[in-house]
Amino acid sequence: MTDTTVAARRQPRLPGWVRRLPAYILVWAWTAFTLAAILYVVMSALKTKREVLRSGWNLPQEWVWSNFATAWTVGRLGEYFINSLLVVGVSVFAILLVSTPAAYVLARARFRGRETLTNLFVIGMGIPIPMLFIPIFGILSYLRLSDSLTGLSLVFIAISIPVTIYLLTGFFASLPSELEAAAVLEGCNDFQVFWHVMLPLAMPGVLTALILNLIWLWNEYQLSLVILNSPQNRTLPLGLYSLQNAMQYTGDWPGMFAGVTIVIIPTIIAYALLSEKMIAGMTMGAVK
Amino acid sequence: MIRKRLIVLFLAPASLLYGGLFLLPTLSTFYFSLFNWSGFGQDMTFVGLNNYVRLFNDTVFWLSLRNTLAILFVGGFFVFGLAFLYTVLITSGIWGKKFFRLVFFLPNVVSVVALAGMWAYIYNPRSGLINTTLSTIGLDSMAKTLWTSPNNIFWAMLAALVWVFTGFFLILLMAGVDKIPTDTYEAADLEGASLWQKFWFITVPMLWDVMTISFVIWMINAIKMFEFPYAFGFLQVPQQLYTLGIYLYIMGFGQRDPIYQLGYATAIGVVMLVLTFVLIVVMRRLLRREQLEF
Repeated sequence: MTDTTVAARRQPRLPGWVRRLPAYILVWAWTAFTLAAILYVVMSALKTKREVLRSGWNLPQEWVWSNFATAWTVGRLGEYFINSLLVVGVSVFAILLVSTPAAYVLARARFRGRETLTNLFVIGMGIPIPMLFIPIFGILSYLRLSDSLTGLSLVFIAISIPVTIYLLTGFFASLPSELEAAAVLEGCNDFQVFWHVMLPLAMPGVLTALILNLIWLWNEYQLSLVILNSPQNRTLPLGLYSLQNAMQYTGDWPGMFAGVTIVIIPTIIAYALLSEKMIAGMTMGAVK
Repeated sequence: MIRKRLIVLFLAPASLLYGGLFLLPTLSTFYFSLFNWSGFGQDMTFVGLNNYVRLFNDTVFWLSLRNTLAILFVGGFFVFGLAFLYTVLITSGIWGKKFFRLVFFLPNVVSVVALAGMWAYIYNPRSGLINTTLSTIGLDSMAKTLWTSPNNIFWAMLAALVWVFTGFFLILLMAGVDKIPTDTYEAADLEGASLWQKFWFITVPMLWDVMTISFVIWMINAIKMFEFPYAFGFLQVPQQLYTLGIYLYIMGFGQRDPIYQLGYATAIGVVMLVLTFVLIVVMRRLLRREQLEF
């Protein structure tokens, strides 16, 4: 009796690929849109001013590679690329230099006020950045560092500390304590334990923090907008922003797209190479 | 045993930089918001809570607040609706899971300014991707829509924003799904559970913690929203796109012409911070429940 009821209740099953067809269609719709949007931009960067306004999805009639050269030199993206490289490079190095030891101590040392201090660092992740616009501009003017890449670097370091410490504290806390104890028995002092034992173990975490900070700061735009003023100091996102604004007057859409392409292609290549690491880093703090 | 000297040495640089250039400036806005202050290097006049009274009567402030809350709630509804939908679809056993995850997350690693430029063109009435595609497939009347007219521009911006953030929360939710033991789903499959039942009775309860954190992250991001709508508005950001962050910036620095109402601008910053923390507390209350064992 049971056999027949079970058989009657069981629904006829379609083959797997048919059941998954709606999923494929919906997922591909989103994916196709994203890829098409990027392709459209890159394609438009290679057209002439006139062609871009009417040819739509057609391929460029003649491939105008000079649009890239124009954005790079006349649009000064070349200079801004160097500025970004400098600011982001120095900042990320300094962020890790100050955050890694701090995270280590917050995760592994025992002292009064440790939790309060950790919370004080972590709370920074909830502070809305626009709140800083005015006091930061004031402080940097006072230090005579406004409108300078040095000033911007200092601010970049400060705003990246909370999330970096949050990530690294979690990472250090998850390391086993046996190796630490063994190193102490071997006669290592506390600095040597950190330097020779714990830091090497934490390297995957440090690397993740490095990549995440690299991406965030490479694209950072709001504080740069507040702090930097002179055209020669612009970072890449600011340079692109001014290129886009100039385009409003000149109508040079292909020039703007050449700029957008120059800005996004390196990030997309880096992302294609490092995406697993980046995604793992993004989810590391949120999903335990 | 870590000695005290090392503790101090290791903590000092980060504490000084963070305290001096992040925490103290944040706290100082509370103080500045009590003054009338018309420029760096200018005298400050104490006006008490006057700036807040002015905010209360300022229609542009209310518009900015309304836009910010629309991003938070309307945008959030679509971001999480889509992120959940696509998490279920992508983890349902289709081929190419990693590739799809990569593409969905892509907007989050690209410069916001570049994305804004791209979307300006997607919406371009004459030659943009949407209208060109619409007229190619024969929908000529729809192809004449002005997506960035004053009535539409906020929603056009919000749609682009949803496109960016869906991918971000998708990877968080997918990472949470990966942690759910597969035998739970296998058991459900044996019982003949549908995709919807598996989602509602297994995925949602098991993802509760990830969801709570995701909501908090979204809340923080939505309230401080500045970069994307600002870049989307180009040279002269229209008021329809103002968020609290943009209005703060305009009041502090202006666009083409400087405004320099610094005390007033910092009062907007204080509102943003208070709003963030109040909403986080309320939401954690609402979502708190027993820890699930699995």
